[in-house]
Amino acid sequence: MRANFIFSEVWIGLRRNLTMTIAVVVTVAVGMALLGIGLMINSQVGRLSSYWNDQVEVNVYLCKAKDDPFPKCRDHPALSDEQKAALKGEIQGMQQVESVTFVDASQAYKIFIAGTADTVLKSAVKVGDLPESFQIKLRDPNNYATTVQTLESTAGVSNVINQKDLVDKTFGFLGKLQWSALVIALTMVFAAALLIGNTVRLSAYNRRRETGIMRLVGASNLYIQLPFIMEGTIAGLIGGVFAAVLLICSKIIIFDGLGGLMSVQLSWNAVSGVITLTMIVGVLICILASFITLRRYLRV
Amino acid sequence: MSPTPRLASRDAPVIHFDNVTKVYTNQNRPALDHVSVDVDKGEFVFLVGPSGSGKSTFLRLVLKEERPNSGAIHVAGKDLARLSNFKVPHLRRRIGCVFQDFRLLPNKNVYENVAFALEVIGKPRRFIRKVVPEVIELVGLEGKAHRMPDELSGGEQQRVAMARAFVNRPMILLADEPTGNIDPATSIGIMKVLDRINRTGTTVLMATHDAAIVDSMRKRVVELEDGKIVRDQSRGVYGQAY
Repeated sequence: MRANFIFSEVWIGLRRNLTMTIAVVVTVAVGMALLGIGLMINSQVGRLSSYWNDQVEVNVYLCKAKDDPFPKCRDHPALSDEQKAALKGEIQGMQQVESVTFVDASQAYKIFIAGTADTVLKSAVKVGDLPESFQIKLRDPNNYATTVQTLESTAGVSNVINQKDLVDKTFGFLGKLQWSALVIALTMVFAAALLIGNTVRLSAYNRRRETGIMRLVGASNLYIQLPFIMEGTIAGLIGGVFAAVLLICSKIIIFDGLGGLMSVQLSWNAVSGVITLTMIVGVLICILASFITLRRYLRV
Repeated sequence: MSPTPRLASRDAPVIHFDNVTKVYTNQNRPALDHVSVDVDKGEFVFLVGPSGSGKSTFLRLVLKEERPNSGAIHVAGKDLARLSNFKVPHLRRRIGCVFQDFRLLPNKNVYENVAFALEVIGKPRRFIRKVVPEVIELVGLEGKAHRMPDELSGGEQQRVAMARAFVNRPMILLADEPTGNIDPATSIGIMKVLDRINRTGTTVLMATHDAAIVDSMRKRVVELEDGKIVRDQSRGVYGQAY
């Protein structure tokens, strides 16, 4: 009886306020989808950075025997094989270093050829044009400053490139993307809350006759307010379902595409977690907004 | 009908106003000014007086729609000052209300309008099916249960409102100018229904301007003027001044 009655009231309310209901559904859907995308970027970035931190190395390039363009190499001749071996030992002895491998000129050439598509460039570069290098794997990729500094000031080293600096630029971009998604999401959520408040207020105004009689015959506050709160909640829930669909689409279209490039996939587990979270947030906001509005407009 | 039940009654009064003053904000003159009155169980009381004399304020105070600035109000044995907000609905379930403008739901028929009062306080469907036809018959609308309000005359609409007010068998029935929108001939029928309700033991408190009705009923009359009680008379008449 009770449930029947409340649901019929909710249905009447949603139908009478159809345009407002649609506005709520759309705002909630977009707001929650953006929130979800922000969270998904967050989890993607987390996974990517741990993946890349395992991959990144510090490249220590050595001065070439002749015509090395780096100014540091003008005063220092190329290292002899003994000096190279000594330097390798020295690097290996450093606290931060996990492992070190030597890449000689022919290996460097092979790596370059394998990684380049430009045939003109390929034919122009010869073995020996590329410097020899040490590739160093750090124990903690975030803790590189001292190692890099020491190596840069070592004689016979032309240049030190920390791959992490390159990766960090990408992460910086992703981070900005994530924050803008979250800021837009927050704005949308705020707008959604106001819209829901307005919808509930209109609904309460439309049905002031009913609620007046309900008050008069002694219906409890919960009984009077529940249909309105349910109205907001159901609109929020429908918006949440649309948001879920949008999130699944974005996972398939955007994240799987990007993931292929970045060699890390966003798992369905993470997506379902994000969807659950956004649904809960959406519904909670709807309940809260309706409740606060009702306290102002449906005083008992 | 026993003429002066308030003398015979040994129970505590159903409505007890003790030195009640109500001043609305932004108004200097009190709507009710040190009013003390008792209404006993089963009484029929007319509340008379010109517009603005405080009749509606009196009824609103009984329902706890307003709070007095000073003085104590007891309704159905409850001290309203101590009644917490969430218990107010339970107080209102013991009070039925009828108004000049009927206040029916236009999209519900007679039966549904009456049943609505029980649905919203969570009464089981079986109970509703049993009592609603009974009370529709009591107010004299048998056979019209499926009419919509706009298919009924003013008098019939007021009967629906009375059925709705009485369907939960309240202890008190408040009627605020129930005959205000109804022609005198039909008003007699309305008063008969109110008398019938009163005979079931329900206390009836009726605010009215209608001198003819007050004079014909010969019930207790409480007269208000500028928020003060100027007359409280059992078996009274409306009075010469109006």
